Amino acid sequence: MSVEPKYQISRKGLTVWRVYGIIQSLIVLLIVVGVGALTWFFEWYWWIYIICAVVPFVFAFLFIYLFPKIRWDHWRYEVREQEIEVQHGLFIVVRTLVPMVRVQHVDTSQGPILKRYGLAEMTISTAATTHTIPALVMAEADDLRARISELARVAEDDV
Amino acid sequence: MSDEKFKLHPISAVINFITGLKDLILPFVIIFVSNGFKLNLNPHDEEFWADLVPLAIVGLLLILNLISGIVKWRRFVYWFEDGELRVEYGLFVKKKRYIPFERIQSLNYQEGIFHRPFGLVKVSVETAGSNDGKAEAELTAITRTAADMIEIEMKRTKREKRQVSTLNESVDEIGHDYMSEADVQLIANQQKQYIEENIQRDVIFNMSIKDLLVLATTSGGVGVVFSGLAAIASQFGNIIPYDYLYGEFQAFIKVGVLLIALVVFFVLLVAWALSVVLTLLSNYGFVVERENDKLIITRGLLEKKRITIPINRIQGIKIVENPLRQMFGYATVVVESAGGAVLDKDKKIILMPLVKRGQAIAPLQQLFPEINWLPMLKRSPKKGRPFYYRIDFLWMLPLIALISYFFFPYGLLSLIIIPLAMLLGMWQHKTAGYSVEGHQLTISYRSFSRTTIFMEKKRIQQMSLRQTYFQRKKGVASIGTTIMSGSMGSSAVIAHFEKNDMEKIMAWYKPNTK
Repeated sequence: MSVEPKYQISRKGLTVWRVYGIIQSLIVLLIVVGVGALTWFFEWYWWIYIICAVVPFVFAFLFIYLFPKIRWDHWRYEVREQEIEVQHGLFIVVRTLVPMVRVQHVDTSQGPILKRYGLAEMTISTAATTHTIPALVMAEADDLRARISELARVAEDDV
Repeated sequence: MSDEKFKLHPISAVINFITGLKDLILPFVIIFVSNGFKLNLNPHDEEFWADLVPLAIVGLLLILNLISGIVKWRRFVYWFEDGELRVEYGLFVKKKRYIPFERIQSLNYQEGIFHRPFGLVKVSVETAGSNDGKAEAELTAITRTAADMIEIEMKRTKREKRQVSTLNESVDEIGHDYMSEADVQLIANQQKQYIEENIQRDVIFNMSIKDLLVLATTSGGVGVVFSGLAAIASQFGNIIPYDYLYGEFQAFIKVGVLLIALVVFFVLLVAWALSVVLTLLSNYGFVVERENDKLIITRGLLEKKRITIPINRIQGIKIVENPLRQMFGYATVVVESAGGAVLDKDKKIILMPLVKRGQAIAPLQQLFPEINWLPMLKRSPKKGRPFYYRIDFLWMLPLIALISYFFFPYGLLSLIIIPLAMLLGMWQHKTAGYSVEGHQLTISYRSFSRTTIFMEKKRIQQMSLRQTYFQRKKGVASIGTTIMSGSMGSSAVIAHFEKNDMEKIMAWYKPNTK
């Protein structure tokens, strides 16, 4: 039995996801208000109001509270000498193993929100796939990137 | 070294023109449709000149296209220098591309209907880097001899010391733009000798006419069979108690069902006949040869294609059996190869379009001796079975509810999807299997056709273990693997097996365990 990867992503990552959730919820709210207004003016069915009232709350609950929490709980990663292992998923928990030999390059990137929280996103590319670790503390991301590219250079094909 | 610059055959101007024409079809259609197909040939009509404008535009575009085709041909030169294939083209912006011969991975040939009468070929030069679906360089039309010359130049550079001096001289002697008949003859003879001396080609696989016919008739034929059956079945409508069920509508329904079934049948029949002809044309004379470390696949009747695949670029081999062919023991062998532009639209390279499964093994063994082609597959446990069809209920139930509601009572017939989907799921469960042996992973699965994929550990780019909440409760899990295919990945899934066994595969894939 193999154990799951050791490290969790930064706690601040959870906050960032919540921020994304808030932004998405605001957009949903805008749409719902729009639909409500149209219903008022054109006198559509009354039950549309109920849907309009319920949807933003459900959406906000799921995307601000529940989903980020589950995702964050599932997220694990570990960079070992010979391989990288990441685990993630909301409904389906996926644990991915990428041998160091297969790694072609590593990128880190940072959007405005991630930057505000001092986080970065790391993307590991093989010849055919890409794998993203979404929220790493900047210093750690730089460190990890350097280490992976170092390890990837040394790693030898054992087959 | 020969520094002579070569031109393409003049016919390539025509080919350029035709290719350009393809891009113009859409604008032309738009012009004509927006014009309402109006054509006014009466010069005394006052709208005569106005109606002529679109025609003039079309004419202008055609002429421009023709000129550009000719210019493209006029400005295109290629030559050999310093162990490189050099290409130069462009009118205002001159472009030069130098491709070192060692970097060339394969030369692919294609002979279209314009090439055949003149003994020409289109050559696509591919390097490892050309993986965005485009060849590094394309020589639209050159003579076979000229094409062979590139190949010979390439081989000569690759093993510089083993030169054939006479050949070099003869290549050097040619001093004109376009080779004369005598030169061509001379070089052809010498090259023939050269090729015979140096290259040994083994035929790995070729297709008999009988197999070709079976291939053509069974390609996509399943739909026709079904619709044919439906048409026949509707004839036996008496068995179904229409009268009792629908009363006065019976006559209408009977005729309606038969009519629809017949129309569908004929449409499919025509489509099928077309696909038979197309398959025959494109797979005629299918031969796979091996030349040192390369595979050469040649096929086609009107349009002849030749592609080369370096064997070490092959990432995995798939044996695909659609249900109809599986019944008769036939299979298709497909190769997943990394990088490289492929002449076909789809990335998959077919190694054997149709072959008896048993007969496929011998040539494959010859090509890839290190792979076990008949591994013992481990099957999915019984508790994994529900997972093969359970997920389908997610889309089935709402769909059935909707159809039943809006088309009551006939909509209830859609309930038949449930047992069908479940049967398919069970069938998929029965087919699913995997085997881990040494450095080799074999996966067998079915979406509709049975696919068995053979791959080596070193070719697998990533492996991931996945488990849903429900799978965890039952102690099952799935594994997804990705290998390279073209410039993208191609994945295969071992779905719903014992969790512990899946963990073992993950452990096998870990680099530090040998």
